[in-house]
Amino acid sequence: MDGRVLAIIERGYRGALEKQFFDELYLATELHRQLGGLDILLRGSAVGYAVDAGPVPAVRLGNRTVDTLTDPRAGLKTLLAAGVGVLVEEPDIATLGAARPLVEGVRLTAAGETAARWIDYRMVVFL
Amino acid sequence: MARQIPHTDVLITLMGAPHASDQVLTALRLTQSLLERGATVQVWTCGYATMLTQRGLGSDKPRNLADWNREYPSTAALVEELLTAWEGRLYWYGCRFCSDDRGAVDHLPQVVLRPPAGYAANVAAADKTLHLGVI
Repeated sequence: MDGRVLAIIERGYRGALEKQFFDELYLATELHRQLGGLDILLRGSAVGYAVDAGPVPAVRLGNRTVDTLTDPRAGLKTLLAAGVGVLVEEPDIATLGAARPLVEGVRLTAAGETAARWIDYRMVVFL
Repeated sequence: MARQIPHTDVLITLMGAPHASDQVLTALRLTQSLLERGATVQVWTCGYATMLTQRGLGSDKPRNLADWNREYPSTAALVEELLTAWEGRLYWYGCRFCSDDRGAVDHLPQVVLRPPAGYAANVAAADKTLHLGVI
């Protein structure tokens, strides 16, 4: 199959306890493998994934410690290592106002810049 | 005779669906925190939140292909953990209509399914009611 696929993620944080490893970034890894190349655009609340924050804390429930909550930064790093391009929309990350830097390898894109390039992709999907 | 609902300090009504936001995590963290501070708690699930306690979920999620030997607890296992650890101070109810409507027919034995018309009795049995999410 020729051409890359653009996957847009606009809504982040969809259930860290029930999803754990099985989030949309895990799905993206498989789509990248099956569809022959993926770029990801983070918009909206999902731009928080790109902020290089510390490790995901564990949570105590009953007498059990759950240390397998969803870790979107680990997910992004796995995707980057696999050759997935990760873009984040600059206005949304600016609105977030995070003091921390972006995950290494994530690229900023201006508002509308990626939309203007949809024609270059074989397929555009929302994840 | 109508079921007697044990009095609790707080009733947490979880309306929000799992796999959509972090409301389930918030609800369970809040439950644990209240219990650790000595409060008594009841949880009432509505809508898709009734699916959290299905026995069919087993103790663990399906395997992670990228980390084959790591175990990831199911929501049913975590609710059961809470109910076991805080026996006598935590109660878990589910809306029977919502549960039946979604085909969730086999829950943890500690889960009490209640008719929607019985919800007011749960509210009356709690000093404070919190709603999380929408159905």
